Amino acid sequence: MPSNVSSKKNRERAVVVIIPLLVFQLALLSFQIQNPDGITPIKMVVLAIQAPVVHISSIITDGIGNLWSNYVWLVGARAENEQLRETVRRLSRLNSSYEQIKQENTRLNRLLSMKDRFPNRTVGARVIARTPGFLSNVLYINRGLKDGLRTDFPVISGDGIIGRTILVTGNQSQVQLITNPDASIGVMMENTRTLGVLSGSGDSLLDLNYISNTEQINPGDVVLSSGFDTIFPKGFRIGTVVDCRKGEGVFYQIKVEPAVDLYHVEEVSVILMEP
Amino acid sequence: MKYLFLALSSFLAITAQMIAGNNFFIFNFLDLSLILIAYWAIYRSRTQALFVGSLTGLLLDAAMGWPLGYNGFGKTLAAFIIGQSWKRFNTRESWVQFAIIAVSSLASSVSMFGLFWIMQRTTSRIFLGASLVQALVTAFITIVIFTLMETYRHNQADKAH
Repeated sequence: MPSNVSSKKNRERAVVVIIPLLVFQLALLSFQIQNPDGITPIKMVVLAIQAPVVHISSIITDGIGNLWSNYVWLVGARAENEQLRETVRRLSRLNSSYEQIKQENTRLNRLLSMKDRFPNRTVGARVIARTPGFLSNVLYINRGLKDGLRTDFPVISGDGIIGRTILVTGNQSQVQLITNPDASIGVMMENTRTLGVLSGSGDSLLDLNYISNTEQINPGDVVLSSGFDTIFPKGFRIGTVVDCRKGEGVFYQIKVEPAVDLYHVEEVSVILMEP
Repeated sequence: MKYLFLALSSFLAITAQMIAGNNFFIFNFLDLSLILIAYWAIYRSRTQALFVGSLTGLLLDAAMGWPLGYNGFGKTLAAFIIGQSWKRFNTRESWVQFAIIAVSSLASSVSMFGLFWIMQRTTSRIFLGASLVQALVTAFITIVIFTLMETYRHNQADKAH
């Protein structure tokens, strides 16, 4: 009986506690609608605390990977008695690592050629973490204030635009991907130079808005940054039109596939914009 | 001290998920923070679980670059559902445990979906489908972990006797 009473009390207490907690969360959301920058200090604190943990973990992960590929795997191979099989395996591993280096080289070369097209200085960075959850729309990179990064700096890869920095700490930055529902970019069509606004939809395709039904838009058309949003420089490739339908209103409903494979991007460049 | 531990465990769960998600894709469908919340709601205190849910949700929002409150609301609700349901139903049955965790995870996602809609925030079409997968994966892993914990506890208790 006393346990029943205690259980009932606990249940009632939980009901009393949950209401103010939920109201607090809703109030916080409402506050951010009025003042979107009001919570930035809280996010900065979280990022600042997370930064060293994520940084150390990426070092450990890389270390384990290197240990595995350079030592453990090699020792295991040596244990093989047949010389021929050993040689084949070693060559195949070598080939695989050359292949990886070649791919990385190609990616970095593309990144370099992209950098050369623009007058601003750029900083290379590695992706060290992604946000938890399946809708990973934010990346973490290993460059921050000490490298000259600030908020709203464009982040690119060899294939095109990735996103922009939204929070920057000493050694690490949070990058909002272009697929993020809160992301928008001023764009233009490569062929017709028609202007529009590209928005993230939360999934892998982007929504291209405000393109009039009277324009000639076809699947396969390339979308470039227009520069009118004052964040992304003009002329960067963003993606390709994959679906284009006449909407009920005066605008097309257009879906754009990003030029960059955002789920597998490893190296990026941040363009250091003038203040 | 207790509240510092609460905050630390929430923080570690999210950071662990970020790191694991970066290296293993499957971790994107596992909600480690919900497992932590379920642990507090079942093995500790239901009231404390609400605070863990609230705090974990806020940290998750900050880590995801979202406005603070979406996950905070969802995870608090999930903590409440787990805490309230666990004592009411026959949770000796594994499928009941599975159902409670899965429903709480799904309720958390649906509440966030509702908030997105109220706030007129664009939402992915795959959000609810992926949430369902996440709920099932998380519930399964939670039950495995809790079963292992219970087995360990029983073994320790038997040894003590």
